[in-house]
Amino acid sequence: MSEKNPAVNQDELFRFIDSDTISSEKIVAPRYSYWASVFRVFFRKKLNIVVLVILALILLISFVGPLIFPYDMMENVTNASTYNLSPAAAMSRFGGFSLKWLLGTGPMGNSIFYGVISSSRTSILLAVICAAINMTIGILVGALWGYSRSVDQVMLVVYNIIANVPYILLISVLVYIIGSGFWSFIFALTITGWLGIAYFFRTQVMIIRDREYSLASRCLGTPVTRVISKNILPFLTSVIVTLLATELPSYIGMEVFLSYIGVGLSASIPSLGRMIQQAQSAFMTYPWEFWPPVIVASAITIILYLLGQSLADASDPRTHM
Amino acid sequence: MKKYLAKRIAFSIFSLFVVVMTVMLLVYTMIERSVIFQQDDTWNKKSNNDREMYEYVQYQKYGYLTYVDYSSFLKEKYIAKYGDSYATQEDFLTDMEVIQDAKAAKKNASVKEFMEKYSAMGYEVRYMEPITYKRGGIKPGGKGYLLAIQEKNVLYRLGDYLSGFFKFETTNDVKDPELTERYIRVEKDPYSGLFAVVGSGTTHKYLLYFDSKFPFIHQNFLRINLGTSYTTYRGQEITSVINNPTGDLVVTRQQYPAQLGTDNYVETAIDFHSLTYNTGILSDVERTQFNDKYTVYNYNRSGLSMIGNSFVMGIIATIIAYALGLPLGILMARRKDKTADKIGNAYIIFISAVPSLAYIFMLAAFGTALFHLPYKFANAEVPILAYILPTISLSLPSIGSLMKWMRRYMIDQMNSDYVKFARSQGLSEKEIFNIHISRNAMIYLVHGIPASILGCLTGAIITERVYSVPGVGNLLTRAINSHDNGIIVACTVFYTSLSIISLILGDLLLTKYDPRISLSEERGGGR
Repeated sequence: MSEKNPAVNQDELFRFIDSDTISSEKIVAPRYSYWASVFRVFFRKKLNIVVLVILALILLISFVGPLIFPYDMMENVTNASTYNLSPAAAMSRFGGFSLKWLLGTGPMGNSIFYGVISSSRTSILLAVICAAINMTIGILVGALWGYSRSVDQVMLVVYNIIANVPYILLISVLVYIIGSGFWSFIFALTITGWLGIAYFFRTQVMIIRDREYSLASRCLGTPVTRVISKNILPFLTSVIVTLLATELPSYIGMEVFLSYIGVGLSASIPSLGRMIQQAQSAFMTYPWEFWPPVIVASAITIILYLLGQSLADASDPRTHM
Repeated sequence: MKKYLAKRIAFSIFSLFVVVMTVMLLVYTMIERSVIFQQDDTWNKKSNNDREMYEYVQYQKYGYLTYVDYSSFLKEKYIAKYGDSYATQEDFLTDMEVIQDAKAAKKNASVKEFMEKYSAMGYEVRYMEPITYKRGGIKPGGKGYLLAIQEKNVLYRLGDYLSGFFKFETTNDVKDPELTERYIRVEKDPYSGLFAVVGSGTTHKYLLYFDSKFPFIHQNFLRINLGTSYTTYRGQEITSVINNPTGDLVVTRQQYPAQLGTDNYVETAIDFHSLTYNTGILSDVERTQFNDKYTVYNYNRSGLSMIGNSFVMGIIATIIAYALGLPLGILMARRKDKTADKIGNAYIIFISAVPSLAYIFMLAAFGTALFHLPYKFANAEVPILAYILPTISLSLPSIGSLMKWMRRYMIDQMNSDYVKFARSQGLSEKEIFNIHISRNAMIYLVHGIPASILGCLTGAIITERVYSVPGVGNLLTRAINSHDNGIIVACTVFYTSLSIISLILGDLLLTKYDPRISLSEERGGGR
């Protein structure tokens, strides 16, 4: 009926456009690459570049450093006069200024400066390896756990039981059984460590699982593994990066904590936790032994945390506009 | 809803059982048991059979096994035969000495009887033959021993543990034939001036009484026995370890029960309400002081109990955390991307990234240097000041995490339709934030409140170590380091129960706070 209405003058509302065959062949939407956008957003902030440079420096010092400054915690153990020397005393004791005695000596005449460098290498390695193992297992199990209802029922029972065994107890028992070497310590941290990540991830997957597009895929007969890898996981990239941002520094803190309560890495491996634990009883008398490892541990964790957070922000597609 | 709760509680109890069993398996079978001798000087000094015997004594003490010694078997046998004079009888002495001669022992009738009796009962009989020099004479530590050993298996141990979990006091608790009167009755309590329920034949004398100490009403009818400590608190029940007061003795003018009504006053710290039955023989002094055999007591002390210390600090820290963290989170959300938000974010990053050990020590150094607050708990001249630094260091991380989540949820809610509607209706920003958004954002945080309150009962590991607070936080870590299996199991049960209870309470609180949420599916919520 409306086209017969004389009140509307159709010429004023619409006009003809020539059909352009060439441009209709082209895709007019701008090219979008996910990871390129992530890095574009990431490098837009100056602070991120600064943090990245600091991290690169820390990595360089802690991984190349021990080659230049070989740390031997037992080198002066036979000489009690070298124990617990302040930086000034250590330099006069060992003949003049040297980088080695910049931070004084520890309870066995060991160089604190070299010790901190070697220890931070252990801590970073530990954090990276543990995070890699726990995140991989946690995400894979969590994805399946959240996706399949039958797996969910079984895993919830398992989770409710294992999550209630005190974590410290589990780790100390494992450390007793398999020893407190570097790899056994990683084993102790990862044997149940993935469970919390998997549980967190399960909830996230469950939220996405029942969205319409997943339902449509399922109706069309897409296999479970492909639904998980193509429909669900890409949606959760920013969640994964956020998780990584909190997980990575947490292992450094965990090592410090476990060493402090006496179930950490063995004494022969230089580690920040061990240094802090050895110095904590006298942290008022020998502050130069206590604060360097504390500050280095804090600095590494903060840098990793900041970097992870910015990367998590950048990996959220909503920030890519 | 009731059905859901019943199911939930049943499952919780089941998982508690499984956890206890898992932990028992872990500590009793997976840890190499000989590690308990690693730093044991007595073990190092002993050699040969003496060392092995010492190992069995320790294993029994640590709860790995039970054993029956040949000499106690003989004692029993000959008491039945001769009565109290058994120790001087000829055949008793020869039977006693025979195990020092391997050849003679094999022919001895008593030894055979011992071996047969305990083998039949499922014990493993172990004869450590005397170790002698070739020219005769026993080597140092080479004395012979004869034992019947039984390993405790996990199911048996679990059953044992659970059957002793609740202890109800009855008048038949004391197995002393000397005790003739057995009753539970209400009497006037001379120590409080009020009335008390007093028992005879029960383990405790005062079953229900009032005094001036928190929580003012005390009962001993039902006690929960979490387990017994083997090493760190030799032989004490863990519930009494964590509940008994710590600190200095408080001496007051009191009278012994037998001297009530006379002029005999003593300056003593004895807590007469804590009297328990003495199964041994009373000394002459004790006879003049007490009317009955309830003569075992605890002392009045100035400090709180271990769990009290942890709880008081924890609960104050929790209150501070909620009182500061929530408003600060709201403030950060209101001033998003402004200075207040940035400062808050810096704090959150610092607290969540830096190892807790680091900022606790920083606070300790700061507080002692600037404000001269006491560092070590025991050294405090004014006891109340000793609580300040630990409490603050406990509240720092919770403030940070509450700020973080409150801000996050507030921002998530800020674009909701109801906020736009409220704004269009002309509500002030203050009203919208403080009443409407914050209440909706709180839905996510309500769930954690029971956990944070009950969590105070478990103490804090690092804080209590750094400030040497006599609290419960380090019970587990200390027990692990000294292989105190009893405490390890007890702590597991305690922590697990608390976490299960707080999860259930959290869910219930959530449904109370937000009636839209339903836990059971059949009410039509969810799908």
